[in-house]
Amino acid sequence: MEALTESGIRPPDTAGEQPLLRVEGLTKHYQSASGSRIVACEDVTFDVYPGEVLGIVGESGSGKSTVLQCLFQDVIPTSGEAYLSSFLGGSRNIWDADRRERRHLRTHDMSMVYQNPRQGLNLMVTAGGNIAERLLAAEWRKVADIRAKASDYLSRTEVPLDRMDDFPAFFSGGMQQRVQIAKALANNPALVLLDELTTGLDVSVQAGVLDLVRDIQHRLGMTAIVVSHDLGVIRLLADRTLVMKDGHVVEAGLTDQILEDPQHPYTQLLVNCVTH
Amino acid sequence: MSSVSTLLEDRGAAFAGYSFAFLDDMAKREIRRAILKGIAIPGHQVPFGSREMPIARGWGTGGLQLTLALVGGSDVIKVIDQGDDASVNAVNLRRLIAKTTGATETLDTAAATLIQTRHRIPEEVMREGQVLILQVPIPEPLRLVERSVAAARSMHAEMDYSRMWLALYEDIVRRGEVSAGAGYPVMVNGRFVMAPSPIPRWDIPKLDNARCLFLFGAGREKRIYVVPPFTKVEPLEFDDYPFDTEHFDGKACALSGVTDAYLVESPTEDGGSRWTASDTNYADKVLAGLEVDTKWKR
Repeated sequence: MEALTESGIRPPDTAGEQPLLRVEGLTKHYQSASGSRIVACEDVTFDVYPGEVLGIVGESGSGKSTVLQCLFQDVIPTSGEAYLSSFLGGSRNIWDADRRERRHLRTHDMSMVYQNPRQGLNLMVTAGGNIAERLLAAEWRKVADIRAKASDYLSRTEVPLDRMDDFPAFFSGGMQQRVQIAKALANNPALVLLDELTTGLDVSVQAGVLDLVRDIQHRLGMTAIVVSHDLGVIRLLADRTLVMKDGHVVEAGLTDQILEDPQHPYTQLLVNCVTH
Repeated sequence: MSSVSTLLEDRGAAFAGYSFAFLDDMAKREIRRAILKGIAIPGHQVPFGSREMPIARGWGTGGLQLTLALVGGSDVIKVIDQGDDASVNAVNLRRLIAKTTGATETLDTAAATLIQTRHRIPEEVMREGQVLILQVPIPEPLRLVERSVAAARSMHAEMDYSRMWLALYEDIVRRGEVSAGAGYPVMVNGRFVMAPSPIPRWDIPKLDNARCLFLFGAGREKRIYVVPPFTKVEPLEFDDYPFDTEHFDGKACALSGVTDAYLVESPTEDGGSRWTASDTNYADKVLAGLEVDTKWKR
């Protein structure tokens, strides 16, 4: 009964395997100007297994990006726990980490690809330097090694190597996004977070970036969480998917199952909106 | 109440209306406490309430406050301005210190107990018990990579220096070397990245494991920091781009003939240039035929 997803990736055999990431009861509330409580996400619980790509789909405002921001510690949740097996053997809630541990989480254990490359890249630093930043944080102290590694990542993400010492500020949106992906791969993080990585790119460039991520996932077996409002992206990349609406997970399961047999009315609506 | 100029003219009435060493006792006490804290945490910038001084900020008020907080009547003081004891600024500072304390003035590095300096460390080795006080314009080595003072402080607290290293990497990529000439960043005691004040690279190795006490004072920025004797001070360097000092291959001081000193170029009337030792006291001593120990590293 093991279905292949459309991406051709076999869903991981999770029986008896320890999850890489365990999130329990993640909740984030904001306060509005009038003092009322705004629920960004509420009681979100899920696991991510090694080598798997988990999709989170939902409309804007559904809380899917908040989940990623909390995981990457850009935002500290109101309550909830998350355990990452690469962080202190999964013994400690990542939201209890002190500032130093939090930095380690962000430079070694996880990486994030933001929708807007300006958030993930330092545009005043060369493309190679952006990748070097993560390697330097891991105490690489030989320029030749750093450059060799940076070129390796840049060629994997199809950034021309003669642009390595140029500033990403002068790159096209698609190439900025590819540099951001190369940066996210540096230091071999246990978990890569991809937030709307193709939104804002034109369709032909989108296809190229998606191909790239799928290819890298195949070759490196990276574990990732992909957040998108676009079911097409989720279908291409994700083995399993969570559907979020108004801060809550309304449906979860294998991506194919969700696409073929949506249970929740919102998911049905979402699937029907996709032009096949 | 006498003005500072009459104070300077008349040594006999030097203290009338002024505290010993110009600063009031509470200021001196605060600065001494900051120094002690700095000694306890080598390379850490200790804030202090910088006082108004009879010279403008940016002209060595940080160094002067350190000097005045430490100097006693029996001290022998020397003031260096870019290696030179005879510049107007050096002479004025030295006189102010001497006349408000009765301390003895000297040009001789070996004879001095306290040396205040702008941007040079003497060529002659300083020994135990001597204090070198460096004037500092910008105490924050992270200033160029992080504009926020609060963020820079937490980077120091967490020993998060990857952006400093990134700036060095970018320098190497763009220029083929780390371009910092004066004020090359150093790691103190394996813990804090420190701005050594704009001393030339030539002087950086002298900071490492020295016998004297180095005090750094930034008056405008209100920071004091310290490299205690026998403290490890290493320039930040990549394994394949090691730190190097300036080279003066084949050049010698036009006055004293020394070659083992930091040389500076000055234009001559015929349109050419000549090189002389920046440390005038060292050149003078060599000219006088005296033995001078310049081997800081052993």
